[in-house]
Amino acid sequence: MASFTKAAQQWATFARAWYLLDARMQPPGKIAAVTAVRLEGRHKPIYHALSDCGDHVVIINTRHIAFSGNKWEQKVYSSHSGYPGGFKQVTATQLHMKDPTAIVKLTIYRMLPKNLQRRTMMQRLHLFPDDVIPEDIQKNLVEELPQPRAVPKRLDEYTPEEIAAFPMVWTPPKDYRRK
Amino acid sequence: MTGRGTPSRFLTAVLHNGVGRYVRQLQRLQLVFSPTAPDARGARQFVEEAALDFARRHPGVVLYVSPRPCPAPLLLAEYLNGTVREELVASKNGEEIARLAAKLADQSGLDIIRIRKPFHTANPSVQGQWHPFTNKPSALTVRGPRLPPQ
Repeated sequence: MASFTKAAQQWATFARAWYLLDARMQPPGKIAAVTAVRLEGRHKPIYHALSDCGDHVVIINTRHIAFSGNKWEQKVYSSHSGYPGGFKQVTATQLHMKDPTAIVKLTIYRMLPKNLQRRTMMQRLHLFPDDVIPEDIQKNLVEELPQPRAVPKRLDEYTPEEIAAFPMVWTPPKDYRRK
Repeated sequence: MTGRGTPSRFLTAVLHNGVGRYVRQLQRLQLVFSPTAPDARGARQFVEEAALDFARRHPGVVLYVSPRPCPAPLLLAEYLNGTVREELVASKNGEEIARLAAKLADQSGLDIIRIRKPFHTANPSVQGQWHPFTNKPSALTVRGPRLPPQ
C-alpha cells in the first residue's frame, strides 16, 4: 500500500510538462534563454544533470521574431558541408526566408550544453512558424510562458480616437510649412 | 575505515518525543557470581555493600542476585525493547560494579553502534513530494493555455 502510493508520487514528480511560448516580436536570444532552461529542467527543484528531467517547449509564431539593430542584414549564419568549396554563408534574412524556424532552432541549439543530451533535449522542442498547432500537441499543453519582451504596439494598431487624444508637445501653426 | 562496513542505525528516541511520563528502559538486572571464586570478590562486595542502595534508588528495576558456580561473574541487563546486555565484572571492585550498574540503568537499550546522522524524522515531508503542478494555479490541470473554456 505504502509502496504503491510512494511510486505514484514519484511518477508525478518526474512527469514532463509541455510549455507554450509565443515568439511574436521576441528577440531569438531571449527566447532561447527561456527555452534552454526549460529543456534542461533547470527550473525544477529536483534538477540533476544526470536525471533527464527536461520539459517540452512548443514555440509558435517563429516567423514573426524580431531582431534588434541591423541584424537581419548583417548577421551571418555560416555552415560547411565538408566538401571543398562547401563553405556557405547566408544572412539572417536569407535563412529566415528559407526556413522560418531555423533561426530560433539554431539559437536554442547553441545555447544548450554541448553534451550527449543536447540532441535529446532538441527533440523536446517543437517549433511552428505560425500559431497553428497539431491537435495532439495542443492537447498536452499545460501553461503559457510569459514573453521575455513586452510586445510594442504599432501606430496602425491604435484607433484614430486614441491617436487624436495623445498629448501633443507642440501644435504647429496653420501656416507652418513642412519640407 | 569507511562508514559502509560498520553497523549503523538511525537516531531514535524511546520516549516518543517526551509524550507521556518517563519509563525506565532497564527492567531486570541479574548479577551472577560464584560465592568462592577470587575474581568475584568485587561482586560479593557489591552485594554486601551497594546492592540494597541500588535497589532502593531504582524501584523500577528488578535486581536478581544469583550466587552459583560460574566461569566468571556477570551483570545481565534486560531492557524493555528486548535487548539483553552481558557485562563481564571479573576482577572489578564493588565501586566499579556499582558504577556499571548505574550506567546500565540509565541506558535506553538501543544498540550502541554508529548513528548515521545526528538528526532523523519518521515523517520526511508534510507537503508531499514536488511535482510539476506544485505551487501552480489549479486551473492549469483542468485545461491548457489555448483550449477554449468549457
